[in-house]
Amino acid sequence: MSGFRDNFVNNFIDDQRWRYIWDGLGVTLQVTFFALILGVILGFLLAVIRATYDKTGKLKVLNFISQLYITIIRGTPVVVQLLIIFFVIFGSVNISKIIVAILAFGFNSSAYVAEIVRSGIMSIDKGQFEAGRSLGFNYVQTMIYIILPQAFKNILPALGNEFIVLLKETSVSGYIALQDLTRGGDIIRSRTYNAFMPLIAVALIYLTMVLIFTKLVNMLERRLRNSEH
Amino acid sequence: MSTNQNTLFRVENLRKEFGKGFFALDGITEEFHKGEVVVIIGPSGSGKSTFLRSLNLLEIPTEGKIYFEGVDITDSKVDINIHRQKMGMVFQHFNLFPHMTILKNLCIAPMKLQNKSKEEAEENAMKLLKRVGLEGRANDFPSQLSGGQKQRIAIVRSLAMNPDVMLFDEPTSALDPEMVGEVLELMKDLAKDGMTMVVVTHEMGFAKEVANRILFIDKGQVIEQNQPKEFFENPQNSRLKEFLSKIL
Ligand SMILES: Nc1ncnc2c1ncn2[C@@H]1O[C@H](COP(=O)(O)OP(=O)(O)O)[C@@H](O)[C@H]1O
Ligand SMILES: [Mg+2]
Repeated sequence: MSGFRDNFVNNFIDDQRWRYIWDGLGVTLQVTFFALILGVILGFLLAVIRATYDKTGKLKVLNFISQLYITIIRGTPVVVQLLIIFFVIFGSVNISKIIVAILAFGFNSSAYVAEIVRSGIMSIDKGQFEAGRSLGFNYVQTMIYIILPQAFKNILPALGNEFIVLLKETSVSGYIALQDLTRGGDIIRSRTYNAFMPLIAVALIYLTMVLIFTKLVNMLERRLRNSEH
Repeated sequence: MSTNQNTLFRVENLRKEFGKGFFALDGITEEFHKGEVVVIIGPSGSGKSTFLRSLNLLEIPTEGKIYFEGVDITDSKVDINIHRQKMGMVFQHFNLFPHMTILKNLCIAPMKLQNKSKEEAEENAMKLLKRVGLEGRANDFPSQLSGGQKQRIAIVRSLAMNPDVMLFDEPTSALDPEMVGEVLELMKDLAKDGMTMVVVTHEMGFAKEVANRILFIDKGQVIEQNQPKEFFENPQNSRLKEFLSKIL
């Protein structure tokens, strides 16, 4: 057991190495949180554009652009998108790596969120839409007050899943030398020449976050469901 | 134009094409007056729903004009949302908002569209709920109600906007037989209060008792119309005779 203890001290206590994990976790959470917000807002917008076109044939040009965007984002690896945003788009600009990561993962997530939300909107009975319009709500009001709240409830599991994917995907942030959780663990490995302990610690932290998040989504889902039946 | 003060709707040569060359409405010219109860009957697929839904532009006419309170609402420059606030619509499948309580179902449109305060909207909503004897269900969700209760709520949801006309598209067709009566009673009540109503229905008893006028639609055209007594006792058109012989 003393081997484990020495190992632990060497990897996490000496030289305050735990800080690589702690600070990395902070970066991972920041990137995930803001990418999530960006992804959801942009994703909902894209979804409404796509669903509007599907339902009414309007917004043809915007729909085309949205579709192209979604196709490109979903058709290329997120690491490549991250590298392109960092080295190509902001190649000659001095910009915080965290912001680059937020943009890359946010844009990436938005494409997946868009398709999830769109399917949610399309799954709502068209009678709901007609009831809203017949009362005098315009298209956007009908979406906001009547369609999206119902769609949101239906797609919550899929959205929750997408957020978990997003959280885990930020682990490639090291490609632009951003010190996130994964990178933090890997730096400890390179200092102590011990792979097992820091990497298992990192894995456990991801797992814990995913489990907590899953629990939260389940709770929210149950609450929304209870409020209707 | 011949539209006078008393005319609520004036429909001129209305046509609606679905797909190539198929006209669900094939030239309807009609007027509805304030306080009138008009019942529309006809075979399934004859265009009754399409006609009713054209009146508030849920269906966009292919040809023809619709004047509502003197305004040509088929003019694309007109903001239809304003006019729809004055036309209540009741659907076969109720279409209550399942994510809102009954009270919220009644309050959302007056609050968001007529800038009513929450208190004002709720007070009015409770009055309407009392009128249909459902004030005890204000905080329930639609899924907790029976079909007949849902439809009565759907009717008062429209009434909460204080409309000038109510459009009904087979409001009792999706109900279990024992619940038809309570909805028809409410509709009779409305008629008695002078509400202008256009009602698509298969309830001939209601038509006989309440309608000022009955229209028979077949293949997208109004083939015959008359006051109830004449309409049922002395039908002229052979297709109407055949239709009546099947349902009476
Ligand atoms: N959105 C639509 N697209 C294509 N055809 C339609 C649509 N709505 C109605 N129709 C057709 O138009 C005709 C009239 O329909 P409808 O007005 O619903 O009849 P009714 O209400 O009298 O039963 C039917 O043949 C129906 O199939
Ligand atoms: Mg119909």
